[in-house]
Amino acid sequence: MDYSLNEIELIAKRATRGAGYVWGMAEEAAKATRWLCSRDMDGGSELARLLQRELSQNPDKHVPINIEGDWKGAEVLCPLMVGASLSDCAARLKRAPIRTGRIASPAILLPFGANAARALECSISLECDGFKAVTDGIELSAPDEFPVEVDAVSVRIGGMLGDLRAHRTRSHPDPDGWEILEAFARKTYAPATEQSRLLGAGAGLSDND
Amino acid sequence: MNPAVKIERRPPSEVMRLKRLGCLHQCRLSFMRILTRRMARENWRFTRPLFDINDKGVGRAVYTAHTSERPYSLVAFAHDLPDEMRSDRVIAQAWDATFTLFDGIPAPGDIDRLEQNVPFQEAGRLHESELSMSRANRSVRLWNHVVDSLAQGRQPDIEQIDEVGYLMRTTAVYGSGKFGTADFETVSARDELQAPFQAEMLSVYLTRAFVRDLAEHAAGVRGGANATRLEPALARRLGIGNSTGLGMAPFLVHHPVLFNNWIMVREEAIARVRALESASDEECDMFHNMLKRGVLSVEQWRSDHPAQLEKLTCLKDDIRKIEKFATRENLQRDHPWNQLMTWAASTLTEEGQEWLASLILEPYGELVDGLASCMSDGNRDAFTINGAMSVRDARALIKESFGWALNIDWNAKENCARAWYVSEEKLEPRLGERFEEDIFTDASNDFEQPLAPARDGVAAYKALEQWDGKKTVAEFLLRHPEHRYSIRRAQIGAHTPYGEIHDNTISAALLPIDMLRAKLSFFGATHFDPRSDRWVRIRMYAGAPYPDELNTQNADLWVYPETAA
Repeated sequence: MDYSLNEIELIAKRATRGAGYVWGMAEEAAKATRWLCSRDMDGGSELARLLQRELSQNPDKHVPINIEGDWKGAEVLCPLMVGASLSDCAARLKRAPIRTGRIASPAILLPFGANAARALECSISLECDGFKAVTDGIELSAPDEFPVEVDAVSVRIGGMLGDLRAHRTRSHPDPDGWEILEAFARKTYAPATEQSRLLGAGAGLSDND
Repeated sequence: MNPAVKIERRPPSEVMRLKRLGCLHQCRLSFMRILTRRMARENWRFTRPLFDINDKGVGRAVYTAHTSERPYSLVAFAHDLPDEMRSDRVIAQAWDATFTLFDGIPAPGDIDRLEQNVPFQEAGRLHESELSMSRANRSVRLWNHVVDSLAQGRQPDIEQIDEVGYLMRTTAVYGSGKFGTADFETVSARDELQAPFQAEMLSVYLTRAFVRDLAEHAAGVRGGANATRLEPALARRLGIGNSTGLGMAPFLVHHPVLFNNWIMVREEAIARVRALESASDEECDMFHNMLKRGVLSVEQWRSDHPAQLEKLTCLKDDIRKIEKFATRENLQRDHPWNQLMTWAASTLTEEGQEWLASLILEPYGELVDGLASCMSDGNRDAFTINGAMSVRDARALIKESFGWALNIDWNAKENCARAWYVSEEKLEPRLGERFEEDIFTDASNDFEQPLAPARDGVAAYKALEQWDGKKTVAEFLLRHPEHRYSIRRAQIGAHTPYGEIHDNTISAALLPIDMLRAKLSFFGATHFDPRSDRWVRIRMYAGAPYPDELNTQNADLWVYPETAA
């Protein structure tokens, strides 16, 4: 089944929130997932895989201890948290590359690298364990698949765009990945109670008039 | 005439209060009027390639609007709905009629596919070739009266027509990617769809034509040779209703850039007119003419809701004052519109002030209408946080939007009595009582949606106060991701002064209908008729020419009823 990009963005936002991330991070995850899908990558499955790791249960352990120097966490880094910081700290890339420690789902860093590329008006390269991607903020050169986890990622200014990934206006998520996102999203929906049905939204009047 | 004096736009602290937003009226920049002006100016053609409805009123129809570039088609399905299933709520399962706006002309196979999906609405799936999905229910009493009358060869009673105002009311018009429809971004480069909600407005416009045809068809079935058609002048009085619940309220909070652009554009239009040194005789005539016609519209405005009745009383009182004050003599003074608006601010209620603000724009299409192109949200990068910003600057930005909220006791029950949430029942947006409903009192759940930007902004402000002002937002957010939402909004607010509501959206005193009305007024809705504090019925396109009548003479001012000659 194909989905609109707004649909993938909304399910990603709800799922990320349902997985325990704060709303501001859920918004980041949603935009990032949309961006990946619009560059013909299965952003939904990438996000689903990450959310299943439940890193949000102990968020402090999965963020960089310090953003001066290399970005290392107490445990494996969360690419949503690191990605947000990468986007926030884009200007630092002008001074030196940013290197992370062990990190989950590095593909999720790509949209945040694209934010940095647009902010700095240059191309950004991202390398990890032999995988390499380049983006100028709009275009993306990257392989179809990225590892589930890598020991380190290096993000730096520069790099030449190679084969460009196609731009897509629809996403075709793997059904299993979509189902996982839906399951997380359901955690944000309140159960249907009679009280809620009567008081929560309507007029309490007949519409058969 | 060019503006000679710079008059500032009214400040957000004045405009963005919920009480005032809940008093907004349609104006030249309303989305329906933007569309009807364009359709007439560009000489769109309209055809009805299919009308296959059986004697029970069940079947399908296609209405096509041909622009010079491309066609758009409303694909309509008419159903036989049992009375007991007629509900306007999102949780309804069936409707009198269901629709989609198809991007082009549907082939028979497309219509077959749509028939397998559109009647099921949220339970169906649409493709990128569809731009909207909607449904409508009959106004049972007016439908029966009109069909009965026409079947007997009589015209329906004008008072009954005005009492209800529409034969069917839509109960949701979805677009922008929902349920598989095309994302707005995929079509927003087309001139005719660039302004907000143009596909949805076109769908409703064509729906109105279908509903008239369907009623005439039903009368023909019932009355046979005796039946007659609805007189065009009566048909024009009929708009399409819309019945709207809470879903529109979160929209305004979720889209601060878009909301800003709508409000700012209207404020800019008002400021431009206020800056005019003088008004010509022709412009005064136009104003007085629209004033007279506007009064008729207000006289036809029906509601049983106590709050709306009180507002209507105020509005009628305000209009009497306007009629006395806005004499030709007074409009011949220096900067007449500015004087009028200054007088209004100290004399009229918000209902009257906003009604007048919309009215003074009417003589100045050349000055105002071009602003319609600034009402969409084209700035995708507004979402990206500038992490290099200092903590001090971020604090200042929050204060700009939410300074009014800093001294509110956000722990006091009355200030956080409500919580917005999404129900698992068809994902209907709802508003709950935080301290009373089980779904909130169980601490293991957190169903609250982020729709209290003032409360959250103040929390972020207080956390920022604990930080060295020279540190960066990036450092702050690494330690406080819970404030990422508010920091983003604050930075968006730096460029969108009208993006935030300057009121508490979770207060015990909140009236969600104020938020609904603000949005609906920009659609161009009239005759707001609240059914509760969170539900409102409106009219769309009442008075508008039908597709076969539309021309540049009648494409714009239809919203003001014609006075007797």
